[in-house]
Amino acid sequence: MKWWNLFKSNFRREVILLKRYLPNTISMILTFYFIFLGMFLGIQIVGDPSSAEMNIQYVIVNYIFWYLAMATMSGIGWMVSNEVVLGTLEQLYMSPLGAYRIFLSRIVATTIIELITISAMLFISMLTAGTWLNIDVLSIFPILLFTLISMFGVSFMIAGMSVIFKQIQSFLQISQFLFMGLTFVPLSIAPWLALAPIVKGVDMIREVMIKGVSLVDFTVVDYTILVATSVIYFIIGIFLFFKCEKFAMEKGILGQH
Amino acid sequence: MTFAVEVKDLKKSYKKRKTKEKIEAVKGISFQVKKGEVVGLLGPNGAGKTTLIKMMCGLLIPDSGSCFVNGYDMKNQRLKALEHISVVLEGNRNLYWRLTVRENLEYFAGNRGFSRNEVSNKINELLERLNLKEKENEMVNTLSRGMQQKTSIAVALLSNTDVIYLDEPTLGLDIETSYEIRKLLKSIAVQEEKTIIISTHDMPVVQEVCDRVIIVNHGQIVADDRVHNLLQLFESKAYSFTLNGHLSSESINYLSRRYVVNIRNENNGKTILDVNILKGEDLYEIIDLLKANQVLIEKIDRTTVDFEEVFMKIVKGGERFEMVESL
Repeated sequence: MKWWNLFKSNFRREVILLKRYLPNTISMILTFYFIFLGMFLGIQIVGDPSSAEMNIQYVIVNYIFWYLAMATMSGIGWMVSNEVVLGTLEQLYMSPLGAYRIFLSRIVATTIIELITISAMLFISMLTAGTWLNIDVLSIFPILLFTLISMFGVSFMIAGMSVIFKQIQSFLQISQFLFMGLTFVPLSIAPWLALAPIVKGVDMIREVMIKGVSLVDFTVVDYTILVATSVIYFIIGIFLFFKCEKFAMEKGILGQH
Repeated sequence: MTFAVEVKDLKKSYKKRKTKEKIEAVKGISFQVKKGEVVGLLGPNGAGKTTLIKMMCGLLIPDSGSCFVNGYDMKNQRLKALEHISVVLEGNRNLYWRLTVRENLEYFAGNRGFSRNEVSNKINELLERLNLKEKENEMVNTLSRGMQQKTSIAVALLSNTDVIYLDEPTLGLDIETSYEIRKLLKSIAVQEEKTIIISTHDMPVVQEVCDRVIIVNHGQIVADDRVHNLLQLFESKAYSFTLNGHLSSESINYLSRRYVVNIRNENNGKTILDVNILKGEDLYEIIDLLKANQVLIEKIDRTTVDFEEVFMKIVKGGERFEMVESL
């Protein structure tokens, strides 16, 4: 129950701040839409007309996952940096439920909010492109869940780095391109990328949304890679976060700006 | 007996970034705080107070030693220990400026696992008590420093912990607000029987709010006693002589070398000599010296001291006082 109250409290805070920073929220959504529009028009104008629809479908799915990866994985880095600037990070560490639970709550809260935004943006993107993807919720949801777990693992790694280094904005900006590579490069080109976080999940969701396959069409190997990468990255993320936290507490740099 | 807070031989050292020189910030500090006790933690800048408080909160891991809160070890049972502590950290580091007063209270209560319904009545009660009711829906960044500090204290009280740490609660406040905060802290100490540890530079806070004071200097405890005892002790050591005549420059030099003195020559030919002595025999030595200077002693008064003077004497004078029996 205490965990649930902690989650509700952090979710509410995220919603309040989104409302309070409304112009920023709106500009974020508009930027998302206009970048998509640019890519869509690019494919229409310079792309091969015979494969244009397929390309557009790929762009929609890849772009949405790139955005989600940035919001979730980089978001926590920005959040920790922001807490340090505000000076409230140490106060979060005074919670008897543990700072990691607060961070996890915020990551989950951000993800839920982003998923709602993304669903709306997905609809608008499909409407703009005039191309409709296969939104098979029952097939997408379990894959998405495991994909998100590995995203959360990477989020914790970034959170740990932020706890030690505080100002990691440059890294976060570079990481956008890393996430782009993870979401845009298809596994058919680089199969070994399946071992990287989120890649297998994104690939499977692409299959569902673009090729219309369902859960039964995937092999045991697909599921094994999906679940194993999710669990492993999550465990590594949490482990690294605790190590970084301990290091910061030993060196006395937890709240240092 | 389980103490509310028990600190055992805490040590912490840092290495300077550039020179790699080792700095011992805390050199084996030990003390116990009983339930319901209000303790002031005093010390000049760089004395090791903040390092100590952070180790007591579990925000900093000591090199050695341990800290217990209600019997829970801060090292091995940190989260359990944190259930019993709330902290008001120094400066504007306790609140979210873009949230309102009520939202801040609800948020931090949520971080301790309380639902909004559970704390709703308590929040209303605290807002009334701290005169924040009218400001409950205002964003923290629009409030005065004093109001922000009261909100931070409200957050600490809302969690209903037995132990509260306050780091410089009156820092940067004007005289009136500082007085208000002192009154508030005093009422919390009296009415709620909480164990409170206040790290401060503000001597009136120590004198008016605290039962006991621990003075830290160069990473060590240099005094640990009841506030009343320390005041009494130093009062008995501070004297003011009214002299008929003036002292020779040799005598003034001699007194200045040996004691903490303040000498004022009055227009009416009199001299006021304020002196602090360490031992009873010193008083006789001063009287002998005055006799040798052939100045008439008109009056000897015991000087009233405030806690600021006590603090300065202990820290500057390098004196060391151990805990008294009464503790």
